[in-house]
Amino acid sequence: MMMRMRSLFVVLALGFAAPVQAGGILTLAQAQDPASYDPIDTFLISWGQIGSNVFDGLVQRGADMAIKPALATSWEFLDGGARMRFKLRQGVTFQNGEAFDATAVKFTFDRLLGPDGAKGPQQSNYNAIGSVEIVDPFTVDIVMKRPDPVILTKFAGYGAMIVPPKYITDVGKDVFKIKPIGTGPFKVVDYQPKVSLTLEPYAKHWEGISKLDKLIYRFIVEPDTQVAELQAGRIDIATNVPVSLVPAIEKTATLKVESITGPSVTVLRFNTANGITKDERVRKAMIMAVDRETIVKTILQGHAKTVVSNQSALSFGFDPNQKPVPFDPAGARALLKAAGIAPGTPAQIDFQSNNPLFREVAQAVAGYLTAVGLKGGVKGYEMNIMTNDIIPNGKTAEMFQFGWGGWTFDYDNTAYLLYHSGERWNPYDKDPILDKMLEDQRLSSDRAQREKLLQGVAHYVADHALEIPMYNLNTIFGVNKRVKGLVPPADNRFRLTDVTVD
Amino acid sequence: MVTLLVAWAVRLSGDPAVMLAQGAGSINAQDLINIREGLGLDRPFSAQYFGFIGGMLTGDMGRSFMGGTSVGLLVAQALPRTLLLAVSGLGLAIIIAIPLGVHAAVKKGAAADQVIRIVSLLGLSVPNFWLALMLVLIFGITLRWLPPSGAEGPLSLVMPTVTLAIILAASNVRLVRSAMLDTLSAQYIMVARSKGLRDRVVLYKHALANCAIPLLTYLGLQFGGLIGGALVIERVFNWPGMGSLAFDAVSSRDYPVLQAVVTVLAAMIVLVNLAIDVLYRLVGPRIRKE
Amino acid sequence: MKRLSPDLLLGGIFAGGMALAVLSSGWTFPDNGEAMDLTARLRAPFADWAHPLGTDPIGRDVLARVVAGGWVSLTVGMLSVLGASVFGVFMGLIAGYFGGVWDLVVMRWADVQLALPFILVAITFTAILGADQYFLIMFMIIAQWVQYARVVRASVLSLREREFVQAARAMGLIDLAIIWRHILPNAFGPVLVLMTLNIANNILLESSLTFLGLGIDPITPSWGGMLADGRTYLQTAWWVSVFPGVAIMMMVLGLNLLGDWLRDRLDPRGG
Repeated sequence: MMMRMRSLFVVLALGFAAPVQAGGILTLAQAQDPASYDPIDTFLISWGQIGSNVFDGLVQRGADMAIKPALATSWEFLDGGARMRFKLRQGVTFQNGEAFDATAVKFTFDRLLGPDGAKGPQQSNYNAIGSVEIVDPFTVDIVMKRPDPVILTKFAGYGAMIVPPKYITDVGKDVFKIKPIGTGPFKVVDYQPKVSLTLEPYAKHWEGISKLDKLIYRFIVEPDTQVAELQAGRIDIATNVPVSLVPAIEKTATLKVESITGPSVTVLRFNTANGITKDERVRKAMIMAVDRETIVKTILQGHAKTVVSNQSALSFGFDPNQKPVPFDPAGARALLKAAGIAPGTPAQIDFQSNNPLFREVAQAVAGYLTAVGLKGGVKGYEMNIMTNDIIPNGKTAEMFQFGWGGWTFDYDNTAYLLYHSGERWNPYDKDPILDKMLEDQRLSSDRAQREKLLQGVAHYVADHALEIPMYNLNTIFGVNKRVKGLVPPADNRFRLTDVTVD
Repeated sequence: MVTLLVAWAVRLSGDPAVMLAQGAGSINAQDLINIREGLGLDRPFSAQYFGFIGGMLTGDMGRSFMGGTSVGLLVAQALPRTLLLAVSGLGLAIIIAIPLGVHAAVKKGAAADQVIRIVSLLGLSVPNFWLALMLVLIFGITLRWLPPSGAEGPLSLVMPTVTLAIILAASNVRLVRSAMLDTLSAQYIMVARSKGLRDRVVLYKHALANCAIPLLTYLGLQFGGLIGGALVIERVFNWPGMGSLAFDAVSSRDYPVLQAVVTVLAAMIVLVNLAIDVLYRLVGPRIRKE
Repeated sequence: MKRLSPDLLLGGIFAGGMALAVLSSGWTFPDNGEAMDLTARLRAPFADWAHPLGTDPIGRDVLARVVAGGWVSLTVGMLSVLGASVFGVFMGLIAGYFGGVWDLVVMRWADVQLALPFILVAITFTAILGADQYFLIMFMIIAQWVQYARVVRASVLSLREREFVQAARAMGLIDLAIIWRHILPNAFGPVLVLMTLNIANNILLESSLTFLGLGIDPITPSWGGMLADGRTYLQTAWWVSVFPGVAIMMMVLGLNLLGDWLRDRLDPRGG
């Protein structure tokens, strides 16, 4: 009986595995189903991964993060940067056959900036745009209300993805968001909410047809489960791989780990308004107390780089000459003593409890603080509570975890929102000098000068010890070796046009 | 009442507009107000709540905040999957538990009893998610007999069902044994035995009928826990049922979905317990007849 | 003097031994299992005396954490079950013995509570209020008394008409005495079984909440928390989660054996 059961299992299992292993089908797991595929509806990375295969923007960003032509073949700045003129690519069609031209561009931005866009989170990113004017069927002008130094990058993704006017007008938003149509290299053929999304190549894509026969996204929340599916050979790419599971992938002969510099930087920010961390000396001591190199080498297993400010080396505003504060527990102890901090004074780190990796990091940092005479503690908050209440309302303990994605790779996108007075993500600091620095760089139209100003901000933040800069975590993927031609991009937004599966 | 409590609690806990806007760098107060208007969150709580209740009564559960999908559709897809898991898990558990429990009670104190007890105790002391992970490790990764996750066919049902059943069976075995011991020692069983009725007849006809009451009570209790407990297992196996739906809804503050899930599950549990009350009445008279 | 029951012996060794180790952890491991050493992370067990059960991902001693971790788990498990059973038994007796309006009120109340999928509510509330240890205990009591009430009521219902109760009543004993002398001891078996099950359940529940990212703060070790935190290391460093798992198993096994032994002793028909 037992034997028969077993052979039955084997037969069924083979029958199960066969279609997955047929050539040319790529299955990719990601944690979340964005639920709406309308570009104006979300700002989720999970949308970005899929959206960049279904849609095109006026421009696109390569795996090296450089801006390249896409639906626009060229562009120029007029009126001292207040007007951008885009020449559009001719002969492009949407996946339903609808032609792409200047009308589609105007429709896209009118929709984004109008009442439809106001209901979603995307509009606020493009508020610097005043209007879109059609010059001729293949030329559009985008007129700016106020300068936005990173607007060109923003045209490469999310809300600025070009959508088909006729299709949306005909079927309405409710259909569009689950049966999206774009000009991108893949079109949606099947959607099972919270389970999977299946795409097929769009034969008439302007870059030529993609090599895959089929592209399947599966939505799997738990990283352990994603890795299990990867090990079982049922998915080809796991996009949510914590460092602790990397060795499990490495020991499987058919799999490999891709670990590349990612967009997200983690810092521990201080409560600079209350308690012991109000004192700059205490904050400096805490920075000196934590051995960040060792944390990166051990807990993060080298899948991260230490940072000196809240940005990665790829970011505009990064200063390669800025030096980190060295690990110096003796110095930290002396500083704490000078500041009159009694041994055993509590110092707590608030963090998002759903992140198992940072859970370990937070405990290690607390351990380092304890080692210099404080009483290090940690408190996990559910992500929502943390981002909706604890941080914006200034209810944190001495320190709090802050991770920032910054897909535009421009320090302004981080620094202004984190350090300027009155911003949502800045509950504590009110520093007129810093405010002025942040405002000045936004007004500067000279690239080199703006970079200098941004570097100045980074130095100022470090000098005043507003945060412990922790690390820039790599984006880690688990990939089956049968996948060929994959170039994982730093921003997680795979464009899978040249990928094949053996 | 239950729905009111949950509706109120969820609203305390965070702003879905901010969730939607997450990562959208330069969001400001006005943007958030716009988003809230879009979601209907600008209305007072009572209006939102009665809107929801009114909708439930007419079969319209509203729309998810995440992507605006119809909640009815989401629940209609998830509920059968969870029920399938729950019923198969409970069914398998009972199939395992009754013979083992009866056997243990009859052989009270003997080796068989001890072995059954120890095994069931071990089953009780394993956390369900951990058991699930171990099963995945063995049957999904090492042996590759079964898919580690998903809901793509009868095979993907096996591991979640077995995980649920092992945990449930362990407690049911103990309950059956305990109830059987009670009835076995009752006078009428002694009498029946002394009258020379064959053991097996005594057991299954008289005794089992009498431990039906505690067993039913416990099954009713379990059903709520079972549905809720399936949540964790659904998450490990990425089983797209009510549990997965609920947990996603909690973490994204998707009120309409969460309210609907809790209401529907509460209704199910009430129905199951009502059914059990009815069964009591059916089983009850037999006690007095004996 | 009767022969020592194997249940008592084994249960005592497992549960008592664990409890003793946990209680004495203040002396044996004064650092409460919190001292870390990143350079000594994930050391394998049984390799060196400094860390007989190995170390965890941030280099803390697994043995120290297992022993100290019992505090949280046992406090949560015991207090919640104690509270829930006392309240539940009381309500169950009232409902079952007196019947009528009492029964109706208690059981409808119970129905409302039973209709709430507990873990869902727990998740919603811990998400809002944070996972404080005593809050968790209160919550378990509120959620679980119903189970005891229903089980007690069911067995009171089946006992109420039994000969010995009828006889007691005929002899003119007052209600309180009947409940105390005849009903309570007889209803005790199922309650004890439930209690032992629920201690285990509640220790496990704490671990499930941690698994879902809502557990008690992770510096203070707890068995459930260690188990949940160690899950991503199952394939590469099994000891991180297996030893706390074994601790839970031994504790639960021991408690259950003791419960069974107690049940046999209290059961008037067993002896």
